[in-house]
Amino acid sequence: MIAVEHLVKQYGRFTAVDDVSLDVQPGEIHGFLGPNGAGKTTTLRMIAGLLKPTSGRVVVDGHDVALEPELAKSSLGFIPDRPFIYEKLTAGEFLRFHAGLYGLDGDGVLDRVHEMLDLFELRRWEHELVESFSHGMKQRLVMCAAFLHRPRAVAVDEPMVGLDPRGARLIKDVFRRMSDRGVAILMSTHTLEVAHEMCHRLSIILKGKIIAQGTVDEIRRLAGGADDHLTSVFLRLTGGSALQELDEAV
Amino acid sequence: MKGAFTYLLLPAIWSSRNRAARRQPGDLTRAFVFAAMGIGVFAALFFAASWVTWQLNGYEELGDYLLRLGLSWIFMTFLAFLTFSGIVTALSTFFLSDDLRLLLTAPIAARRLFYARFARTVAQSSWMVIVFIAPVLLGVGVVRCAPATFYITSALTILPFAIIPVAVGTASTLLLVNVFPARRARELLMLMGFLFVGSVVILLRMLRPEQLMRAESLPDLTGFFSTLQSPVTPLLPSFWAGELVFASLKGGWDLMHAGAIWSTALVCCVGLRVADERWHFSGYSRSQEAPKARFAHFRGIDLIARILPLSPVRKHLLIKDVKIFLRDVSQWSQLLLLLALVLIYLYNFRVLDLGRIPYMSGFIKNIYALVNLGMAGFVLATVAVRFVFPMVSAEGRAFWLIRNSPVEMHDFLWSKFWTGLIPVLLLTETLTVAANELLDVDPFLKSVAAVAILFLSFALVGLATGIGARYPRFTADNPSEVSGSYGGVAFMVVAVLLVVAIIALVGWPSMTYLYYQLRHRPIPAFRLALMGACYVAAMVLMVATWLHGMRSGIRALDAMSN
Repeated sequence: MIAVEHLVKQYGRFTAVDDVSLDVQPGEIHGFLGPNGAGKTTTLRMIAGLLKPTSGRVVVDGHDVALEPELAKSSLGFIPDRPFIYEKLTAGEFLRFHAGLYGLDGDGVLDRVHEMLDLFELRRWEHELVESFSHGMKQRLVMCAAFLHRPRAVAVDEPMVGLDPRGARLIKDVFRRMSDRGVAILMSTHTLEVAHEMCHRLSIILKGKIIAQGTVDEIRRLAGGADDHLTSVFLRLTGGSALQELDEAV
Repeated sequence: MKGAFTYLLLPAIWSSRNRAARRQPGDLTRAFVFAAMGIGVFAALFFAASWVTWQLNGYEELGDYLLRLGLSWIFMTFLAFLTFSGIVTALSTFFLSDDLRLLLTAPIAARRLFYARFARTVAQSSWMVIVFIAPVLLGVGVVRCAPATFYITSALTILPFAIIPVAVGTASTLLLVNVFPARRARELLMLMGFLFVGSVVILLRMLRPEQLMRAESLPDLTGFFSTLQSPVTPLLPSFWAGELVFASLKGGWDLMHAGAIWSTALVCCVGLRVADERWHFSGYSRSQEAPKARFAHFRGIDLIARILPLSPVRKHLLIKDVKIFLRDVSQWSQLLLLLALVLIYLYNFRVLDLGRIPYMSGFIKNIYALVNLGMAGFVLATVAVRFVFPMVSAEGRAFWLIRNSPVEMHDFLWSKFWTGLIPVLLLTETLTVAANELLDVDPFLKSVAAVAILFLSFALVGLATGIGARYPRFTADNPSEVSGSYGGVAFMVVAVLLVVAIIALVGWPSMTYLYYQLRHRPIPAFRLALMGACYVAAMVLMVATWLHGMRSGIRALDAMSN
């Protein structure tokens, strides 16, 4: 559903993403792990069509993002790490506008907006300005928007940052439910517990290159410790640079 | 509707509606002040245009010729303004605007996004031109008893006239962003813009247009007209617009220039759209890249701060504020414009030919000293609202750092005060003293003006710092937004009232002094006492404003921390 083929992004002489390839099947939750500055966000932004790759290609639901951007974006929901929301719109207005961007029209739109607001427990805030929302509420509103047009694939960057335990559990439940309905989810995360708990497969990126790919068990075997906790495996694979990140995560 | 490009303009419309529906304290006052200012400017332009047209009516064909030329000149001035404004606005609407992160991930056709962004760019770049040109054309039309077609033609001319230069500006931005990273291009453009405006103003001053009014300085009438019209103007849209509007003023039609201006606007739109579809994404993608910034270390500032008798807290706050200010090109480039204006101000005093009225020159010179004090006061208020008022807000989202550290708000705000005071005081004292020296004002008035501006600097900088702390905008994107906020407007109102009061309190005793001085008579004791009381009252008022402003600011920050 999401196919990334030999993706490269260079900033001058610096290569931020170096020959990255991965694919996410329908119904799969694919974890995208790596230390800070490894190239996760850059890769996701290229998948979403916000950055132009230096080379390589991204295909979403059979449509090349560079050649058929509208069709590819129609099938994709993108949840960025720093989302933009119009602060002076209400939650309801923002979602209705978002629906319009994806060509949703007619009476069903309002029902769908309410369905999403209910799902993410934001219904009572429908008529409040976004500027009065907490970080967690804004995060949930962005997720409402991302799932509003029933995407077949979702790319999400650090979904759990700033969420309280209840919010985090809600998001996990929603992602699992979407995955059960066949939605392909590519999720970058720092939280190894989340990756362990939710992801069917993982890709670990370091200095722009994919260094390990597979199920959690396959990656454990690759790192040479079959019974290890994912944190130890991650540390072994990414080396000392991951320690700092773990410190931050803790 | 959902497929049209206008759908993408909806968030801006809805946001404005929500903002109007949920007013915040001070919004009404601000709206009232801005509306009054707008109406004032509109009326002034309308009456000025009416007066000039009325005067030209007396010269029949020559008057018509000058009016026609004048219209072309007005449009030509706006043509340059719109082109530059288009470059700067397009940088933000097409490349740096935050909502692009949302819109570019949605399945929107590039063409639709282009039209929405271009409409926004044209509107943002040209609203000011329309606000200025509308009363001028209205004034001309009313005096000339123009037919209704004049007003319709004017409206239909302004639209393509605005589109053409903005399209050229947008195309330049598209090119620039594909060559430089957008964030660097913005700094480059701002600097270029300020240098451009400053040099134009200086050039105009050096040409001394007031000499045109002196008959003896003109060789002949033909020479005069030939200086006003250059051979390239008929190729410019400003000429077409001027001709079109003038023809309709006379009740006729100028289809050739109408065709030229509309077809050029259309070609510009289509050409720009094609270029945008080809290069926008690559430019936007480049604008997301963050290359390692080049910056100056300004180690001299650390050295200077080290020798200043300041507490460590104030020392470090000073270093931080000065370095941040100097590293932000958009901030200090405005100082260049200010410097240009100061030079023109002083140059005006140098060219002031008071010798032409010898028996009055002594008196007028000294009156000018007071006018100069008033002008310096208004310059001071403007500089304070632009540079000093936003200083607390400039801490932005990093203000938590100050609040969480063991820094007292008292120390923090006084540090802001001194950082703002020194440059402002240097500027206004130089301005006042140099202008009075150039005019050769009476030594007593020179001293009064120098002392008054010293106290006024303390008062206005203190007031700006204090009100800036009472009404901070930590989430503002830039200092101009802070200056235009409710607090900024409130400061300007109070500052103007204070300057007027000080002029009155300093002006009356100074005039009395001059009166007796010119007549070589001693000042009676009662008058002398009254004069002294006025000077003391002015000083007390300024000191009270300074200290009260600062105290109220500190109280507000303390309340925020608690």
